[in-house]
Amino acid sequence: MFAYALRRILSTIPVVLIVAFFVFSLLYLAPGDPAAIIAGDQATPADVERIRASLGLDRPFVVRFADWFWHIMHGDLGTSIFTNLPVTHMIAQRIEPTLSLMILTLIISLTCAIPMGVVAAWKHGTWIDRAVMVTAVFGFSTPVFVIGYLLAYIFALWLDWLPVQGFTSISQGLIPFLRNLILPSVALGLIYMALIARITRATMMDVLSQDYVRTAKAKGVGQRGILFLHALKNAAVPIVTIVGIGFAALIGGAVVTESVFAIPGLGRLTVDAILRRDYPVIQGVVLLFSFVYVLVNLAVDLLYTLFDPRIRY
Amino acid sequence: MHRRDFLKTAAVAAAGGLAAPRIGHAADAKVLRFIPQANLANLDPIWTTQYVVRNGSLLIWDTLYGVDDQLTPKPQMVESHEASADAKTWTFKLRPGLKFHDGEPVLAKDVVASIQRWMVRDAPMGLPIKKRTDALEAVDDRTFRFRLNQPYPKMLFALGKSSTPMLFIMPARIAATDPYKQITEFVGSGPMRFKRDEWVPGAKAVFEKFEGYVPRSEKASWLAGGKRINFDRIEWQIVPDTATASAALQNGEVDWWELASPDLAPLLKKTPNVAVDIADPLGNIGSFRINHLHPPFNDVRARRAIQMALSQPDYMGAVVGDDQTLWKTLPGFFTPDTPLYTEFGGDILKGKRDYEGAKKLLAEAGYKGEPIVLLVATDVAITKAQGDVTADLLKRIGMNVNYVATDWGTVGQRRAKKDPPSEGGWHIFHTWHAGADCVNPAPYTALDASGATAWFGWPKSDLVQEKIAEWYAAPDLPAEKKVIAELNKAAMDDVVYVPTGFFKAYQAWRKNVSGVVKAPFPVFWDVTKA
Repeated sequence: MFAYALRRILSTIPVVLIVAFFVFSLLYLAPGDPAAIIAGDQATPADVERIRASLGLDRPFVVRFADWFWHIMHGDLGTSIFTNLPVTHMIAQRIEPTLSLMILTLIISLTCAIPMGVVAAWKHGTWIDRAVMVTAVFGFSTPVFVIGYLLAYIFALWLDWLPVQGFTSISQGLIPFLRNLILPSVALGLIYMALIARITRATMMDVLSQDYVRTAKAKGVGQRGILFLHALKNAAVPIVTIVGIGFAALIGGAVVTESVFAIPGLGRLTVDAILRRDYPVIQGVVLLFSFVYVLVNLAVDLLYTLFDPRIRY
Repeated sequence: MHRRDFLKTAAVAAAGGLAAPRIGHAADAKVLRFIPQANLANLDPIWTTQYVVRNGSLLIWDTLYGVDDQLTPKPQMVESHEASADAKTWTFKLRPGLKFHDGEPVLAKDVVASIQRWMVRDAPMGLPIKKRTDALEAVDDRTFRFRLNQPYPKMLFALGKSSTPMLFIMPARIAATDPYKQITEFVGSGPMRFKRDEWVPGAKAVFEKFEGYVPRSEKASWLAGGKRINFDRIEWQIVPDTATASAALQNGEVDWWELASPDLAPLLKKTPNVAVDIADPLGNIGSFRINHLHPPFNDVRARRAIQMALSQPDYMGAVVGDDQTLWKTLPGFFTPDTPLYTEFGGDILKGKRDYEGAKKLLAEAGYKGEPIVLLVATDVAITKAQGDVTADLLKRIGMNVNYVATDWGTVGQRRAKKDPPSEGGWHIFHTWHAGADCVNPAPYTALDASGATAWFGWPKSDLVQEKIAEWYAAPDLPAEKKVIAELNKAAMDDVVYVPTGFFKAYQAWRKNVSGVVKAPFPVFWDVTKA
């Protein structure tokens, strides 16, 4: 198991390198010019050229890629064209808000979605099942920004319970931290919640029709025991899979959520960098996301062994 | 305690805690929370000409002169100046007691180094001064001198200009940085110091009161007079989404929003604790920028066809909506309600639009239905709105439109290409010019018609250039007005570009904040918060 995990971690290196090459190539081919943005609207073409040269953007593709790759190999993601700050510093500044948003979203989503799916499967065909499914369809089909604005209007502007925007570090207290993150986490988590609830319901319905469940009932095992000790554990593999796959959706959703709630996270950093063509930042963030995504998939694979002892690596 | 009671108690406590009144909610009168017009991604006002950088720099760095609300340059760091009778030697003396944020005194050598860096990057005014300068020297610690080989009558205006790049005074060691490279230290002598340790680009920038700053004794007026700061901290919060910014202002999470969206202004006006007013009285001029190098627009008749068909109300409606207090038509190139404003020569932009006449002119210019490459930056609301109106206009006059929807970063790159439009070049793009840059020809890059060295589109008109030169030499305001009227007509006749109208924007602030003024930049001095 340990050897497998190590192999998988090592196998992320070529994946990340391939991603790095593609990201660099795409950005090189993509139109846009950071020098023109820096110089501003009133700058002369000559000024734009001088700035481009000073940033090294006039060098050939191979030279730029080799230079960038050399620095990557030494753990240096480069320096932002616009802020003149190291990309690692900018990522470090932004990672806490994004990580906090992701974790809280996961907690809220899983805490709500799994019981919802289990209850819907248990009460299959009843109004409870239908209510859960309607909620899931609503969550799945409503864009994050609509939910975000709606929640902000109700809980911040109308009820005046929570702030509209911003982020407070957990180091400044749990309550201020949660006050800022609850609305964005719920907004972002709704689609995730819907996805997991639907999968949980479908898988549980399948598991609940299995013979061993009937046997457990016959032996007098209580309803709660059947659902949560026997059935849910056996339904866990597809649920864990969807949690992993949904992580990519979560990253995409975080970009929108961070913009709507003005959270200074990696999503906003990425959007700002793309709009300004801040190449080192875009490359750094994409590398980070691809690495994290690979690690999440590894975690999912390892979790399979926990829920299903038949799976061995 | 029973389990259910415990859960109930915990839930109530959690809800109560989360819904507790915001700590510091508008309570700290010494902190001003401000949403700027854009992200403050860097702080070198010479390296980049973005307005948001200029606005942040106004807090950190001081200027030799500053324009007041009458657009007159007034001494700021300078105590006095003296010009020789032939206007070739200018001697300036600095105020006593000027200090940088690191405690070092501001010396004439710092000023000389700052001017030298600025001159290289300021094409409209700095470079012409540089070309005329035989010597720029520090006479003593508080005195510096220009020795010119020919007079430059607009010297004070140049040293105090508010358009970018502005002349900010930095320590000589910082000003020695290559003007095409970014500075790495943000040490100034302005009223606030930059808290670099709290800077999160794209999210937050913090300025802290500089106790060593000695304001002038005069009343503040825009960039002139005493810059008295009434806050310990000014926090810039970057809120990219306008709806969120509006809600944050309504909720009291921020105090002042520099550029309130016109769509949300009606809502903000109804909010009891929020005040809404025009941000910049000098507003902006919308621009229909034409490439003069390639057919059909290398023929002035094709450019005039656009002028006679273009409806400014259509453009302004698309840019700022139904609020008619925010815009007016502009049959001229200069900022309305400023001393040099003129409509002379602008009749072609007035009255009923003549589509048939435009079609006829296009035919005379040899247009035969070739695709017209229209670059539209769809990520910028103003350019997107103008681009959509233009696409409709071009179709109405029988042109074949190739609508290139892209982002501003791409427009910024592609507009620099002089290649034919069919080979990656372009015919038309849209932008807008700050009214503060269009009050006279000096900062007005877009009006330059010098051909290959002109701004994108590369218009060439000897008459326009002649009139600009005459303005520089004009001895007084009446003479300037006469020349500007002729310049306006010459630029209209050659169709250097087509103004799409004059528009303003709103700013909004909490009513417990007072002293907010209308200006082309946020003026933080004399603002207070109850």
